[in-house]
Amino acid sequence: MAFSSTNPTCRTATTSLPSKLHHLTAQLSPSRLPVNSVTVKTPSLISCAVTSQSMPLIEKDEEAAVHLRPDSFGRFGKFGGKYVPETLMYALTELESAFHALAGDHEFQVSVNQEFAKELDGILKDYVGRESPLYFAERLSEHYKHPNGEGPNIYLKREDLNHTGAHKINNAVAQALLAKRLGKKRIIAETGAGQHGVATATVCARFGLDCIIYMGAQDMERQSLNVFRMRLLGAEVRAVHSGTATLKDATSEAIRDWVTNVETTHYILGSVAGPHPYPMMVREFHAVIGKETRKQALEKWGGKPDVLVACVGGGSNAMGLFHEFVDDKDVRLIGVEAAGFGLDSGKHAATLTKGEVGVLHGAMSYLLQDDDGQITEPHSISAGLDYPGVGPEHSFLKDLGRAEYYSITDEEALEAFKRLSRLEGIIPALETSHALAYLEKLCPTLPNGTKVVLNCSGRGDKDVHTAIKHLQV
Amino acid sequence: MACNLNTVFLPHRISACGREPVSSKTQGFCLPSSPADGGASLAWSALSHDSVLATSGSLHLSTTITRKSPTQTLIVTEERKSTTAGKFGRYGGKFVPETLMLCLSQLEAELKVVLHDEEFQAELATALKDYVGRETPLYLAQRITNHYKNSMGEGPEIYLKREDLNHCGAHKMNNAIAQAMLAKRIGRKSIVAATGAGQHGVATAAACAKLALECTIYMGRMDMERQSSNVTFMNLLGAEVRSVDGSFKDATSEAIRHWVNNLDSSYHLAGAPVGPHPCPAMVREFQSVIGKETRKQAMEKWGGKPDVLVACVGSGSNALGLFHEFVRDEDVRLIGVEAAGVGLESGKHSATLATGEVGVYQGAMSYLLQDEEGQIIGPHSVAVGLEYPGVSPELSFLKDIGRAEFYTVTDQEAIDAYRRVSQLEGIIPAMEASHAIAFLEKLCPTLPDGARVVVSCSGRGDKDAEMVLEHI
Repeated sequence: MAFSSTNPTCRTATTSLPSKLHHLTAQLSPSRLPVNSVTVKTPSLISCAVTSQSMPLIEKDEEAAVHLRPDSFGRFGKFGGKYVPETLMYALTELESAFHALAGDHEFQVSVNQEFAKELDGILKDYVGRESPLYFAERLSEHYKHPNGEGPNIYLKREDLNHTGAHKINNAVAQALLAKRLGKKRIIAETGAGQHGVATATVCARFGLDCIIYMGAQDMERQSLNVFRMRLLGAEVRAVHSGTATLKDATSEAIRDWVTNVETTHYILGSVAGPHPYPMMVREFHAVIGKETRKQALEKWGGKPDVLVACVGGGSNAMGLFHEFVDDKDVRLIGVEAAGFGLDSGKHAATLTKGEVGVLHGAMSYLLQDDDGQITEPHSISAGLDYPGVGPEHSFLKDLGRAEYYSITDEEALEAFKRLSRLEGIIPALETSHALAYLEKLCPTLPNGTKVVLNCSGRGDKDVHTAIKHLQV
Repeated sequence: MACNLNTVFLPHRISACGREPVSSKTQGFCLPSSPADGGASLAWSALSHDSVLATSGSLHLSTTITRKSPTQTLIVTEERKSTTAGKFGRYGGKFVPETLMLCLSQLEAELKVVLHDEEFQAELATALKDYVGRETPLYLAQRITNHYKNSMGEGPEIYLKREDLNHCGAHKMNNAIAQAMLAKRIGRKSIVAATGAGQHGVATAAACAKLALECTIYMGRMDMERQSSNVTFMNLLGAEVRSVDGSFKDATSEAIRHWVNNLDSSYHLAGAPVGPHPCPAMVREFQSVIGKETRKQAMEKWGGKPDVLVACVGSGSNALGLFHEFVRDEDVRLIGVEAAGVGLESGKHSATLATGEVGVYQGAMSYLLQDEEGQIIGPHSVAVGLEYPGVSPELSFLKDIGRAEFYTVTDQEAIDAYRRVSQLEGIIPAMEASHAIAFLEKLCPTLPDGARVVVSCSGRGDKDAEMVLEHI
């Protein structure tokens, strides 16, 4: 959506809407717009509340394959899109073209494409440390066996073993390479807990790029060690004091910077959220997780996984695992969000369970908002899940019924954190612990020998102090 | 634990034929005597019978070192190793009380079996691959390479062997998982270990959790403060961490005492290639995967071998792990880098091979940092994992025959290297590994264009970030 400084209006970025969406714009009226947008001087992104429809645009149980994911407008069904100021449109189009030319289109066997793929593969292997193993968690599987010895087999996809300790680097490294190809010398990024910030600072050091990380002032206090790591790696960390001084404000600030410096700067968005082409691009760069999993599952047991489980904040690690299998109807996709203090407490980050459709940070998706369309401040013990939005593709998969989404409280996550440490000697990130906690509810329902692959999206070194406070270790 | 034992425990002066006499300072393996020990501290066999060639009533160590070429010497030593268990030239051995002799022999026998047991090897290979995350990459550090190019654009190529990417963030896990599996196989239910920086403790705790073994870790009080995050990890992983007055050497003594009191049920998991035979050989065998992979990867990448290998040396586990594969390749230079701490003249350092003298410590003969009276000098380094007054007997041997070279790097040089690699490659190396990387500053200008240097990046440096932050 583009905004003038005095008269906020809503119009979509595309000139003609698909007919199905007209009823949406008709419902929008100035009274639904957030009050504070009237005084906006510079273009900025706001959220719009869109009345929820009684009839979904997509039929449940429709094949995901019927829909382009995304289509040429960057939409996943009705979700996604490019709700950005005009100044960013060119940069997004340029980014999309570069992506397709270099990395996206596998049919194009032009030499520059192969060169990019080869360079990226080499970096993923030697720098990031891929392939990450598919590890049979024997003791964890034992834990879920019934008295008669039956139960599922739990495998962990070890993204925690990646350089910098999380899946984040897959995307950061690929985008940095892309930025270099585009001739951009300056990189910006937002970060909540600091993991994406550290990953971005890491790749900028590796590629010799200038790096500015936007971080909420409150988050900076909670994660001072990550701030130091980013500075050690040569990045500049800028504190964001506006709003609640957390991730969503850092994201807005980063977008503001990008608007101002778009010719020289590439914005490494950390998740499958934001305006097109980011959701698609970040998913593609994380899709290596699912691709490897397919290959490894075949090697290990000669088949596919039966169930995939992953935590969902913005949704990047989940899309990275799921994407390869979306068209395999016999593979169940389960996303686990943060229920914080409980879904009824109002202090959670369970966007897909409790949210409503709206536009945030350039994309239409589910988001946590109040009746005035103001963003509800989310809460989760894990900073990486502490995001009020969610990737549009997840919103799409949910509405389609292709993927299921549940939520886990802080307390359940902490228990799972301790459980994996004690049973397998792997300290998982608190984000990952949410996915692990869901196994408590899932496993009793699964037939004997079901193969469950859980994305161990990061290691928990960064969460140790939080855990001590809560666990009395 | 250090004590002056000349008069009590070792009735013989040890001298090596054909060389200048060994220093008369020796340290026996000393257990604090307690009623429960039942006199264990009194029953000494100073030298194990199969490590000594007795001639005409006086004791001489086998004449291992004459001025032959290193290769010939090595071959001779290899042969001798198989008959005189645990000796690397005159270094190594089994300087332990009788109570431990049987246990060590059993361990040695078991080690021989597993090294040839296909099932164990397959299980270990799976664990190394799926649990630990091996193979670790051999990574061309382009920006560091460029940093060392001279004005004509010439310089060596620097490769980092990425042990920092292992589960738990250091090479320690290679050995911990293998020994934990060995312990389980021989029916032990609990593991005891000592740790300096905490890396070995964390790796051991993780392996024990995975294999459902009880785990007790001994750690020096000061070390616990300096590496508190590692203590937290160990607790989270289900291990019991017991603090010991002093540092790693004292923790090791406590761990061994614990083990001696529970010989049937517990297993002492050594993290360093020191101590009585078969510990040095065992740790080295399990770490040698580093060098084996390096050979394969070097062949894949440039169709040859590395020209120079560089590794930091505390007790020597990562160095041996990298070097061992290439010891017989005389065209491969082996360089170990120790900690010069605040400076060699200051006396506050850990440069055992550079400034130490030969003695017997914690069960093996090796170089060690000792004063005029044979008391251990408390070592110092900004890298806690390099703070050990002894060193691997095998490295002592390689030094004496000139097969490996050893240098030192100060605290400040290491911190500078820590920051340099972070900024140039986006890799935050452990402070220990930073010593090896720091040595590149002196090494690279001397190397011919295109020389291939493999540096062991033995661990990641997140654990050191707080300390560096305070330092700056």
